Amino acid sequence: MAVLHAWRAARVTPLGELHTPPRMTAVLLRLTVQVVLVASLWHGLYAQTGTTAGLSREQAISYAVMAVLASRLRELDQFTGRDTVIQHMHYGTIVYWYLRPLPPQRYYALRALGEQLYGLAWALGGYAVCLAAGVAEPPRSAAVAGVFAVSMLLGQWVLYYVLLVLDQLCFFTIRNNSALLILIFAQNLLSGVYAPLWYFPDWFLTLSGFLPFQATLSVPLSLYVGRIELSEAGAELAVQAAWVVVLALLTRWVWRRAARRVISQGG
Amino acid sequence: MSLRALRIVWRISLLNIRAAMEYRTEFLLNIAAGAIWQVSVIVFATVLLARFTGMGGWDSSDVLLIPAIRMLAHGLFVLLLGRMHLVGRQIQEGRIDVYLLRPMPVHRQVQLAYFPTNAIGDLMVAAGLMAGAVSRSDLHWTAGRVSYLIAAVIGGMLLEAALFTGLASAALRFPAADYWSRWLEELLGTFGSYPLNVLPKAVGGFLTFALPLAFVAYFPAAVLTGHDTAVPHWLAASSPLLGVLAYLGARVLWRWALRHYTGVNG
Repeated sequence: MAVLHAWRAARVTPLGELHTPPRMTAVLLRLTVQVVLVASLWHGLYAQTGTTAGLSREQAISYAVMAVLASRLRELDQFTGRDTVIQHMHYGTIVYWYLRPLPPQRYYALRALGEQLYGLAWALGGYAVCLAAGVAEPPRSAAVAGVFAVSMLLGQWVLYYVLLVLDQLCFFTIRNNSALLILIFAQNLLSGVYAPLWYFPDWFLTLSGFLPFQATLSVPLSLYVGRIELSEAGAELAVQAAWVVVLALLTRWVWRRAARRVISQGG
Repeated sequence: MSLRALRIVWRISLLNIRAAMEYRTEFLLNIAAGAIWQVSVIVFATVLLARFTGMGGWDSSDVLLIPAIRMLAHGLFVLLLGRMHLVGRQIQEGRIDVYLLRPMPVHRQVQLAYFPTNAIGDLMVAAGLMAGAVSRSDLHWTAGRVSYLIAAVIGGMLLEAALFTGLASAALRFPAADYWSRWLEELLGTFGSYPLNVLPKAVGGFLTFALPLAFVAYFPAAVLTGHDTAVPHWLAASSPLLGVLAYLGARVLWRWALRHYTGVNG
């Protein structure tokens, strides 16, 4: 029965997508155009230069294309379904999360899991097409592929907690739109979505080392393209795992504090 | 717009600013969000400039003019006409139906829905970048060049407004079209800040004729700095005029779409 409830909660947002064919067509078109544009850009930039910042042209293109695909993993539109935490806080419907037999933190986690699995299907489909078209390089060995898979899993786990912290902020600040925007910029910049972090100055790399963002994408993609050697993978995976533990403890504590702030119909 | 209408717009804007300042932290964070967004674009552009010198045959001082024009145009767009982003949500919430009943044009009501606090941060960073780009440039800033630069910024703003007004018009008929506005903003930010001649011809053609991103900042900057582009010089030079024409066309499209608006429930 618990599995059935979990399945029902996890499939809510993906079902919403599947029932909106125009949105799915838009996602397909957007993903295709974005991959072509990004691959063309890095191809053009490397036209007159060799290896830069330790990345060859093929590595840079693979990194950039896979960053575009990975960005699909958590990009579903919950706002249209009026199921974001900020909307529930605004309309007062957050109280229902606390009246159901399913604890709110589990409901939230299941929804996120469903979204990420749905996004994974898109990303894997895109990856297969990019591999077949020669836009992205395959992993250099089975060991690299395995380490990349573990690192990507940990990265998505960190991303889940980062987004959860932002949603939890709503319980305390009522509005979190701006904080969310800032976080998205920080996430895109510091995780290497815009450009691989290896191109940035040393001080920038040092700074981002103290933040969880590079653990979400830069580390797994750097492992995949070979910019981080397998011999260094253990330390990188340990840092990612440490972020998972730290953020898990933090969000667990915040869930308890948040529950005390939920009021219904004016208290 | 009559003087009375202007007065109403001014009073509503002041009220919107007061309303935004009710949430002080959110107000300040919103300014920071605008600034950080622009800074992230600058960081991306400068990292590429530092790593890939002589990008597309352009000096870095010339390249800086491209993000400067684009970002200033974007900041002005966000301040003056940027609420077009919101149309999809307003359609979903049925607010357009309410606007239709009020004695004020719907487009103006959409623009007056809230004060875009983030535009303050956008414009602060963009103005700083423009000052830096102009001071680093070797160009002789004659009255003609300065006038063209101002026209280019206004034209870029109107072109961006035209694109988002076009999408908002589509959203009046097909609410799911709203999805594209986020992507469009991302594309403008990512591909609008450097010479498009680094891209293959087909991709450059797409960003010129299918999605006229090149006319926002790349062509005006090329005209100012004397670089050749893939289109005739007269076409590149008329970018500001194209911005005006595109915006007028988009407003005609908006009025047509509004006449055929049936609401989300049909």
